[in-house]
Amino acid sequence: MRALRWGLGGAFLVAVPWIVAAVAPGQQRYILHVLIFTTLYGALALSYDLVVGHVGSLSLAHPAFFGIGAYTAALLGTEARWSFAAALPAGVAAAGLMALAVGVPMFRLTEHSFAMGTLGFALVAQIVATNWVEFTRGPLCVTGIPKPELGPLRIATLPAFYWMGLTAVGLTGLLYHGLTTGRLGRAFHAVRDNEMLASAASIHPLKYRMLAFVIGGAVAGGVGALFTSYVGVLCPTELAVSLSVNLLVMLFLGGVGSLRGVVVGAVAFTALPEILRMAPTWRMVIYGLLLLLIVIRAPDGLEGVIRRRSAAWRRPSGG
Amino acid sequence: MALFETRGLTKRFLGVTAVDAVDLRIEAGELVSLIGPNGSGKTTLFNCVTGYLPSDAGRVFFRDRDVTGVAAHRIARLGVGRTFQLVSVFPRLSALENLLTFLQQHQEEGVLGRLVRVPRVRRYEAVAVERAMMLLDSVGLAARASAPAGSLSYGQRKLLAFAAALMPDPELVLLDEPAAAVNPTMINQMKEQIRALHRRGKTVLLVEHNMDVVMDISQRVIVLDHGQKIAEGSPAAVRRDPKVIEAYFGR
Repeated sequence: MRALRWGLGGAFLVAVPWIVAAVAPGQQRYILHVLIFTTLYGALALSYDLVVGHVGSLSLAHPAFFGIGAYTAALLGTEARWSFAAALPAGVAAAGLMALAVGVPMFRLTEHSFAMGTLGFALVAQIVATNWVEFTRGPLCVTGIPKPELGPLRIATLPAFYWMGLTAVGLTGLLYHGLTTGRLGRAFHAVRDNEMLASAASIHPLKYRMLAFVIGGAVAGGVGALFTSYVGVLCPTELAVSLSVNLLVMLFLGGVGSLRGVVVGAVAFTALPEILRMAPTWRMVIYGLLLLLIVIRAPDGLEGVIRRRSAAWRRPSGG
Repeated sequence: MALFETRGLTKRFLGVTAVDAVDLRIEAGELVSLIGPNGSGKTTLFNCVTGYLPSDAGRVFFRDRDVTGVAAHRIARLGVGRTFQLVSVFPRLSALENLLTFLQQHQEEGVLGRLVRVPRVRRYEAVAVERAMMLLDSVGLAARASAPAGSLSYGQRKLLAFAAALMPDPELVLLDEPAAAVNPTMINQMKEQIRALHRRGKTVLLVEHNMDVVMDISQRVIVLDHGQKIAEGSPAAVRRDPKVIEAYFGR
């Protein structure tokens, strides 16, 4: 039953480009574009939630890791003419190594000072991207980033990019699930909930914080590489600190620390403003009010609403 | 050599000497209580020997090993279990998960192992669950295994914390006020638990204010006052010691 539901859901997601073509032929490009952003945002939000939701460290450095992965892949693809199959892992590795190097001093800070320290790092990363013109081309942006080619597979069309994004969010989801359940997940949560008690349970808090931070950073770098390969242009503005805010909204909107919640949050965050284009003038006002409403009515996010609904739905039928 | 020993252990806070050159010797299999008026340095001493606070002088030995300055998670891994006075359980995790969390490091499974759920990991998990259920049963919490620890009563949480500390089968168990603010029925249950632990050959060091508990179950009592060890001996001898009476009631 469970496998059947997953299979049907997966088949539906894979079939989305054809469904969109059949239902809204005129708007196909636009809808797929939004969906590609949704999948990439979903993967990025999941990588971020490993740090924020599972080890409870409010890192604001995520845009920097996203940017380091993006710049590494973009510059290797354009300047060094590396194939995407090599540039993508390079982006992942660069972001992961940077997270390792930054994490060691940053985790000497706690709570608010950790947030401030990582914020500082994110700002420095953006300033470097903007001002190191010889290397990053600064505000002129890296242009002409080649479309990804993985062996015989050439990702150039919108449906292909959608499937790429879907694969990215799927793999990130699997990794997220593997890391946050079972013994490893319990260690993460122990560190998040009570560091002293975690130590008494032989859990080294720093080790698990670093693990989540480095894996989260590496995945963010990979998403950055995918993102630039889709957009074709990479500007320093992509590393803006506001990305952290967007990611935090997704997490809290959907449900911190929950796979389904974070994905729902990413979908709501990217799809909602687009749906609201039907009322152009009031779009962002309505959007803001909706966010406010959700925060007031469901402080634990949409995940909490879903859980309560499905529990209420199951009860009358007797399980 | 003793299982656990401190030599001249000292801890100062801004000029106040909370633990003052304390020598402790605890043999394997002993049940020892550490008592003293409020602020006499009992909990500070606990925190120093379990790696939560750096000491200023002196050394700590466990199983012939110098563990002075070793990090808390490492000391726990060496076989020292402990409970805390206030923070006792992970409230969001279920009672069972609380116990499973304490069986972390006995076998590294790695990220890959988790992802593919190799049979070995599954088998290990099954053994862990079995042990956890046995311990929950022994403290009378088996029926609440899947309840969030935060929903348990205060006394039940203390019993849960006690069971969790035993999960990795530590050689030495340090209990920080297990009977504080617990109702009388629960106190008796806790007393039985500590006795049973002692009977199984484990070494127990207990910090406790409840004198009935201390006098009833300890083999030996050590008294601290103003960070110094002022008396040591059998419960009956310590009770009659004029220095102890003075420390508690004044002159």
